[in-house]
Order: sequence, then structure tokens, then C-alpha cells
Amino acid sequence: MKDSKYLVPIMLFIVLLLFPMIQYFTNQNYIIHLLLYAFFYIILTSSWNIIGGYGGFISLGHNAFLCIGAYVAGYCAVRYGISPFYLIGVSGLVAGIFGFIVGLITLRVRGPSFIISSIALVMIMRIIFDHWDLVGGASGITLPYNSLPVEWSKIPHYYSFLFLAIAAIYLNWYVRHSKFGLALRAVSHDETRSAVAGIDVKLIKVTAFALSTFLIGSAGAVWADYLTYIRPNMFLIILIAANIVLMVILGGKGTVSGPIVGTVIFILFNEIILSFFGATELNILLTGLLLVITLLYFPDGIVGSLKNKGIIPKFLDWG
Amino acid sequence: MYILQVIILGLCLGFVYALMATGLTLIFGVMRIVNLAHPIFIICGAYVAYWLFKFYGLDPIFAIPIAAIVCGLLGAIIYKLVFEKDAGSQRYSEMTVLLTFGTAMILDGTLSFFFKNTQRITSPPYATDAIFIGDIFLPTAQLYSGLLSLSLIVALALFLKFSTLGVAIRATSLNRVNAELVGINVKFVCLFSFILGCALAGCAGSLVSFVFSFFPAKHWEWIAVLMSLVVLGGMGSILGAVVAAVVLSVVASLVGAFFAPSWSTMVFFLALFLILLIRPHGMFGKYLS
Repeated sequence: MKDSKYLVPIMLFIVLLLFPMIQYFTNQNYIIHLLLYAFFYIILTSSWNIIGGYGGFISLGHNAFLCIGAYVAGYCAVRYGISPFYLIGVSGLVAGIFGFIVGLITLRVRGPSFIISSIALVMIMRIIFDHWDLVGGASGITLPYNSLPVEWSKIPHYYSFLFLAIAAIYLNWYVRHSKFGLALRAVSHDETRSAVAGIDVKLIKVTAFALSTFLIGSAGAVWADYLTYIRPNMFLIILIAANIVLMVILGGKGTVSGPIVGTVIFILFNEIILSFFGATELNILLTGLLLVITLLYFPDGIVGSLKNKGIIPKFLDWG
Repeated sequence: MYILQVIILGLCLGFVYALMATGLTLIFGVMRIVNLAHPIFIICGAYVAYWLFKFYGLDPIFAIPIAAIVCGLLGAIIYKLVFEKDAGSQRYSEMTVLLTFGTAMILDGTLSFFFKNTQRITSPPYATDAIFIGDIFLPTAQLYSGLLSLSLIVALALFLKFSTLGVAIRATSLNRVNAELVGINVKFVCLFSFILGCALAGCAGSLVSFVFSFFPAKHWEWIAVLMSLVVLGGMGSILGAVVAAVVLSVVASLVGAFFAPSWSTMVFFLALFLILLIRPHGMFGKYLS
């Protein structure tokens, strides 16, 4: 039944591809914003899943690479007048190279020490960016607005995020089903034994880390253009890292569809909280509560739990 | 002379950092939990001292036992609710890091919902005083908190060294299974050391309440600093954490004095990365697989 398995995702893709046409009739900027916000977080969670889910390295510092991508694009846009959309690949590459170097250092340790070093990375970046006058220090960079009319101004970002999200999901799927992913999962279970089996453990780990940071960096370029201003305290806060981890855990880490399901559910949950309570500190409280409850009662996440029980819908079962 | 002055100020702060880190490393040693919620317990202790001073005029130094009891009770509740269920399951340490992370967010959200993120500081009369010894001046707030932290650390070390319960705690952190074999009630030891760690955080909280200004979201800064101390000293080694805290704090003060104050915390994070490069299991730590 190969057809029914791919039918729902392809239908969904076509609907999402055609959805902006609605702007011809009514102005639905809020829904467009929610969708592109969801795509944005799907990129983050899917790329995080490569190193955090398959590799078993829980990183609480992936927002550092988002920040680098955003700053590369923002700096070039302001200084040289290049549109951030042309810089998606460059931002990704810079973030990927930076991720490669960081990975060489931090991936030597596993477990708690790695998590701590990832938090420390964010703190270091925060201090550097807060005092780096070239990129505006703590007050950041303001990017030029795009000149589109208001109902079309979000559409370039919408499509960029949509295609980047599909790239991220495809990469995730590829890593899950390729020899590289098999090696990565072997490394996550036992590094010594995988080394004995002939896997280049260090190369595998660092490549996976660089891959996941590459995609996050390219998402950062579009995100910078979408927000039109970037400041260190928008990216280098722990809440973004917490959201990424929570979404992946909620959906099920180490699965292809888990990050997508987790992201969609979490964003809906967040919007509902916002509409009932407003943007208060309750948000932090409820996010933490959701994380603790998920970890205690569904450690495998939604997709993982369904998979264990064998009642997973076909269109979510991508391995 | 100026250097000596800076070093002395750094030492005082170093002992406070050391007290903060000992609770954390104690909990890690016994239970293998990296308690990311530790700094928010410190903030809780600071709030206890702050409100006691504000409403009853109680000196923050005398608020130490009360803050310790409040934080210890809070720790006991959280331990019962969150950690007891999972102790002993697979992939325990990674799971619990995220659990403590969630706990920290819950406490952070609760505190900032009630008290808002305004900067507060306890202001007992000695907070703005200073003692002069020759050319060197010692702010009494820093001096008192440093000395009290040092004495609390020494008391903890003596307790661990000589009391029966202390020996049981050290045995459990050396080898959990063997400790259970010789008749130690490991579950009770775990609960007790978690409460002890949280109580130490409470003590540290009331001591810092008149040294630093604090607000609920500040604990994210402290997490990274304290964690780098613990990793640098070797996970689970109390001596290591104290040495790392004192040395790094002095270096940070020197950087702050001769380079720029805002870069001084950078010392802690760079040291963390350096130690991961050179000696991933820390200065005094044993290699944990």
C-alpha cells in the first residue's frame, strides 16, 4: 500500500503550496504567519533531531547557530545590500563550518557534560555578540523592509521556509534510512563497539552535528529578513533551545515524523495559552510543566508511543 | 597593591561560588543527576531572605537556616514528584537533565509570575560598609558572605568525613550497587543528599541576596557558571568544585579589573571548553563511562 502512505503528505504539501492564493480574496496574514512559524520550527526541530534524536547528543545550544546564520545574512544585507534570500546557502555554510569546529571540541564528551557545554556555548556567544560593535553590539542590526504590499510581504518567507522545511524533513528521512544514519545510531548506542566495527566515530558525530547546524543557519537567514531586526537577546536565550527540545521530545525523538507532529501540537498549544492568558510568565511555567509531564509519562513522545503500541497511522510511519 | 585588592575580592566571591557548586556536585555524585534547577533554588533562598528582611527586618545571615529549611522542603517535594519514579531506568542521566531543566522552567515561571523580573537586593546595614586594612579595603558584605560560605563548606566536609550518614553518602557516590550490598539504604541516602544539596542552595541564596542583585530569570546565567565549575572540578568531586570556583573566580576578577568587567564571566565558559579539550573528565574527576 505504497500509495496511501504517501497520499496524505503529498496532498498536504499541495494544499500548503497553494494556500497563499487565499490572499487574493481575504487578508489572512495571521494564518500565514502561524504556518511559516511552524515551518521555521520544523526546520529547527528536524535538524536538531539529526544530532539529538539519532545521535543521542542532547544539545541545548542550537540557537547559537540560528544566531550565526541570522547575523551573517543581516550583516551582508545591511553592509553590502545583498538580499538575505540569496544568502541562505552562505549563512548555512558559515553556521555549518562553525558547527563543525564546535563539534570537534564538544562532541568528545557525552551525556551531562555535553549538555552543559552546549549551554556554555550560548553564553559565550551572548557575551561576544553583546560587545561586538561591528554587528551592532547589544542593540543589534536593523534590516531593510521589503517593498511588497502588506498582504504579500510574508509570502517570500513563507515559500522559503516551506522548501527549507521540506529539505530538513528529507534530510531527516535520508539520515534515518541511509548507511550514515545507521552508523550514527550505532554510535549513539555504544561508541567503543561501533569503533571496533569499523565506523569512524569522530567523523560521523561531527558530520551529523555540522549537517544539523547547516540547516539551522540557513533558516536563520530567512528568519532575520522576516523579523527585520536582530538582537543577541532574541536568539541567545535558553527558551528557544528549550522549545526545540520540548517539541522533539513531545513528538518523539529519533523518528522522522515526530519533530513535525511535536512542533505543530506545541505551536497550537502555545497559541491557545496566549489567547487565554496573554504573554505572561505563565508561558514559561506551562512549557516547563509540559516538558516534565511528557518526560515522565511519554518518554518516547507521541509518534514513538504510537509506534510501540503498533497503532500508528500509515501517513506518520516514515521510520 | 591593586592586584592584591582584586585577588582578595575574587577570593571572597570564589567561596560563595564554591558553596553554590558544592550542593550541585554533591547531588551529581550521589544520584548522577545534573541538577539544572540548582540555581533557581538559590534564587528561592534569596527571595526567602529578601522577604524576611523586608517584613520582619531579619538579618539575611540569620535567615540562612530558614532559607535552608524552605529550599530543603521544596527539594524533597520535587524529588518525590519528579525524580523518584525514574531512578534506575535506562538513559537515566540524559533524561534527568531535561527533567531538571523542566523543573527549573516551572520554578522560574512561578517565581517571575508572582514577583516579576525586577532586580532586588537585600540591604542590611553592613551591605554598604567596608573595612580598611592598610591600603586594602574589604566590603563587609563580600567578606561576611565569603567567610560564612567557607565555614559552611568546611562544616559540610567534616560532616561527610566523620558522620555515619556522611560515610554512607560517600560510599553511595563511589559505588551504588556495592553500597546497597553492605546495607546502606541507598534510597534514603539519595533523598537525603538531594535535600542537603537544595538546602545548601538555600544557604547560598540568602548569602548572595546582599551581594548580587537577583531576579528569577537570572538563574540561567548562574547555571552556565556553576556547571562550568562542576565540570572543571570533575563531576561529583566536591574538592574539585571548590578549587575550580576559587581559582576561576580570582581569574575572573583579574580579567574584570584589567580588561573589562563584562568579559569576566567569559573566563568560566572558556575554561569549560579548555578542560573539555584537554581533560574531559575534569581536574579531580574519575573517568565516567
